[in-house]
Amino acid sequence: MLLRVENLFLYYESERGIVRAVDGVGFELGTKETLSIVGESGSGKSSLALGLIRLPPKNTAKYAGEIFFDGLDVMKLSDEEFRKKVRLNGIAMVFQGAMNTLNPVIPIVKQVAEPLIQGFNIPKNEAHQKAVETLSYLGIKPEMASRYPHEFSGGMRQRVAIAMALVTNPKIVILDEPTSALDIITQANIMNLLKKLKNEIGTSYIFITHDLALASELADKVAIMYAGRIVENGPAEKIFNSPKHPYTQLLIESVPTLRAERVPKFIPGAPPDLINPPSGCRFHPRCPYMIKGKCEREEPRITTVDGDVRVSCWLREEM
Amino acid sequence: MSVLVEVQGLKVYFPVRRFLKTVGVVKAVDGVSVALEKGETLALVGESGCGKTTFGKALLGAVKPFAGKIYFDGQEINSVDDRQLEAIKRRIGAVFQDPYSSLNPMFTIYRIVEEPLVVHGIGSPKDRKETVFKALEDVKLVPAEDFAYKYPHMISGGQRQRVAIARAIISRPEFIVADEPVTMLDASIRVEILLLLREIQRKLGLTMVYITHDIATAKYFSDRIAVMYAGKFVELGPTKDVLKNPSHPYTQALIDAIPDPDPRNRLSFRKVVGGEPPSLINPPSGCRFHPRCPFFMQGKCDASEPPLYSVGPDRFTACFLAEHQS
Ligand SMILES: Nc1ncnc2c1ncn2[C@@H]1O[C@H](COP(=O)(O)OP(=O)(O)OP(=O)(O)O)[C@@H](O)[C@H]1O
Ligand SMILES: Nc1ncnc2c1ncn2[C@@H]1O[C@H](COP(=O)(O)OP(=O)(O)OP(=O)(O)O)[C@@H](O)[C@H]1O
Ligand code: SF4
Ligand SMILES: [Mg+2]
Ligand SMILES: [Mg+2]
Repeated sequence: MLLRVENLFLYYESERGIVRAVDGVGFELGTKETLSIVGESGSGKSSLALGLIRLPPKNTAKYAGEIFFDGLDVMKLSDEEFRKKVRLNGIAMVFQGAMNTLNPVIPIVKQVAEPLIQGFNIPKNEAHQKAVETLSYLGIKPEMASRYPHEFSGGMRQRVAIAMALVTNPKIVILDEPTSALDIITQANIMNLLKKLKNEIGTSYIFITHDLALASELADKVAIMYAGRIVENGPAEKIFNSPKHPYTQLLIESVPTLRAERVPKFIPGAPPDLINPPSGCRFHPRCPYMIKGKCEREEPRITTVDGDVRVSCWLREEM
Repeated sequence: MSVLVEVQGLKVYFPVRRFLKTVGVVKAVDGVSVALEKGETLALVGESGCGKTTFGKALLGAVKPFAGKIYFDGQEINSVDDRQLEAIKRRIGAVFQDPYSSLNPMFTIYRIVEEPLVVHGIGSPKDRKETVFKALEDVKLVPAEDFAYKYPHMISGGQRQRVAIARAIISRPEFIVADEPVTMLDASIRVEILLLLREIQRKLGLTMVYITHDIATAKYFSDRIAVMYAGKFVELGPTKDVLKNPSHPYTQALIDAIPDPDPRNRLSFRKVVGGEPPSLINPPSGCRFHPRCPFFMQGKCDASEPPLYSVGPDRFTACFLAEHQS
C-alpha cells in the first residue's frame, strides 16, 4: 500500500465546544489508484485532507493517528523530514478554492516553478522550463505562461492550480473539490483532463467531492464520509451498484439523474452537529432501518462484507 | 389555459463604467420572449453569468428593462403607476439562493414570515398570526409555535429555506420566481425542498419560474424548460422532450457535460465542447454559440442571428440547423 491511514483524529476548538471534524478515520490507497472521498458539506472532508498533510489549523484541539506513506511513519517524522520526504514530491494538494488564491502580482509560470526552485534547488531557467512544460501539458500554451492570474478564466486558473501540484512529480495528489466553482462545461473539461493525467502519469489521487456523479468520473474506490467518519469504503462498482450502508443507499437515491427515469428521494432530517454528534451510530436519527436499543446506544464496528467493502452499520454486523 | 405572465422582446443592459465614464454595456438579457400559462413551472437553465438572475429580477420589477415589455395578468409592469405596481407586486413572490443572507438575523422567524403582510397592509394582527402559523405548517415547520419565535441562526440551512418559502407564499401570490432556491443546500436536503415547492405550487395553483444551473433537478421539477446562453433563449420546450431530444447544439453540449452517478464513467472520456462562455459586452456575431459549436457553418452562423424556429409541438430552437425542419 502506498498510503495507509489509521484512527486519524482532527478536532477544533470553537466557542460552542470541540468540533469533532475527523473522528477516527482509516483507509488505504494503492499506487495508481484513485480514491474519492464523498460526503455532505461539513462532514469533515477538507479537515481530513489537512490532517493527511500535517496542516492542522491554529485552533486544533486534537490531532492524532497513524499515517504510513511509502514506508514512512509520517506522524513520527520531524518537520524538516516531513517537508523533504513527503511534502516536496510525496503528497501534493490542490486546496479547495485554490484557483482564487493564486498570487495576483506574480506571473503564473513563476508560481508554478516556485516549489522546484525552493525545494529542489533546481536552477531558475530549468525550473521555468519544467513549469512551462507542465502548464502546456495541462492545456496552457507556452505564450500564456508569463501572464498574470487575472488574465485567465476560472477554468484556466484551475489548470494552473493543478500544475502547481503536479510540477514536482508527487506520488499522491489530493484534489479538494477541484471543479465545484466552475461552469458545467468547464467542469467536464477539467474532469477529462484529470482522467488523462490518471491514465498517462502513474499518480494516485484522493478526490474530494460532495457530488456522487462527479466522483464516478474518476474513482476506482469510494469512501463515504458522514459526520467525521467513513461509514462505507469499497470499489466504485460495489458502492454505486450495491451500497451496503443505509446512508450510502439514500445518498445515491437522492441524486437527480439526467438519463435514468427515477424520481429522486430525499434523506429526512438534517446533517448532524459535529460538536454534539448523535450517540451510537451517528446516522441513527435519520436512518429508516434504525434498530431501537442498539443503534442509538452503541457504535457499530467496521466490518468487511461482500469481499472488500468496509462498512460500519449494525445491520451488517448481525449478518 | 390562460397566460399569466408574458414577456416580449425583453432586453436588460447594464452600463460598464471605468473612471466614472460609461465605456460599454453588459447585455445581460438581450431579446427574450416567452409566455407563462397559469399553473405551469418554467425552468430557466444556463451557465453562470448568462443572465438568469437578471431575467428573474426583471419579472419581479426589480430591474428596469432597456427594451421590451412584461405583462402580468394583462398589465405592463413598467407602464403602470406606483399604486398599480404595488398591487401587482403583492401578487408575486420570490425565493432567493442564499438562505443565510436573505433572512434578517435580528428578526424572529415569525416576524420574517409576517413582513410581507405588514408591508402590504394585509389583515389585522390577529388574522396575520393565523396566516403566519398556517404558512409555517405549509412548509412543514411543525409544530409552528416551536419555530415561530426562533431566530435564523438557530435553525438549519434547509429550515431557513423553508422560512424563505413561507415568506414568499404568505401573501398568497399567484406567481413565484425561485432563483437557485436549493443551490446552497446540502445534496441530501435539496430534493426535499424542491418536492415541497412543487407540492405547494400545485396546491395553490402557482405559476413559477425555477432558475437553476442544475439541469437534472429541472428535469424533475418543471413542465417547460428554457435554455439560456449569453443573454438569449436558445431553446424552449416541454422539459422531458427537450432533455430527451435536444435540438440546439448548446443544449446537447450541456447534457453531454453532465454525468449521472455511474462507475463506468471513469473508463471513458466525456464528449465536451471547448471554449468558455462569451463576453456579454462584445458577444460573438451571429449565433453567440458559434465559436464553440461543433456544427458551425461558416458564412452563415457568424453572419446573422438565427431566429427561434418552431421544431415540433411547443418546441423552439435558435439554430440554423433547424431552418429546414420548421
Ligand atoms: N478551523 C476550524 N475551526 C473550527 N471549526 C472548523 C474549522 N474548520 C472546519 N471547521 C468545522 O469542521 C467541520 C468540518 O469542516 P470541513 O471543512 O472539513 O468539511 P467539508 O466536508 O470539507 O465541507 P465542505 O463540503 O463544505 O467543504 C465543519 O463543521 C466546519 O464548520
Ligand atoms: N447590477 C449589475 N451591473 C452590472 N452588471 C451586472 C449587474 N447584474 C448582473 N450583471 C452582469 O450581467 C450578466 C448576467 O448576470 P446574472 O446575474 O443575470 O447571471 P446568472 O445567469 O444569474 O449567473 P449565475 O448563474 O452566476 O447566478 C453578468 O455578466 C453579470 O456580471
Ligand atoms: S446556429 Fe450554428 S453555431 Fe449556432 S448552434 Fe446552430 S449550428 Fe451551432
Ligand atoms: Mg471542504
Ligand atoms: Mg444568478
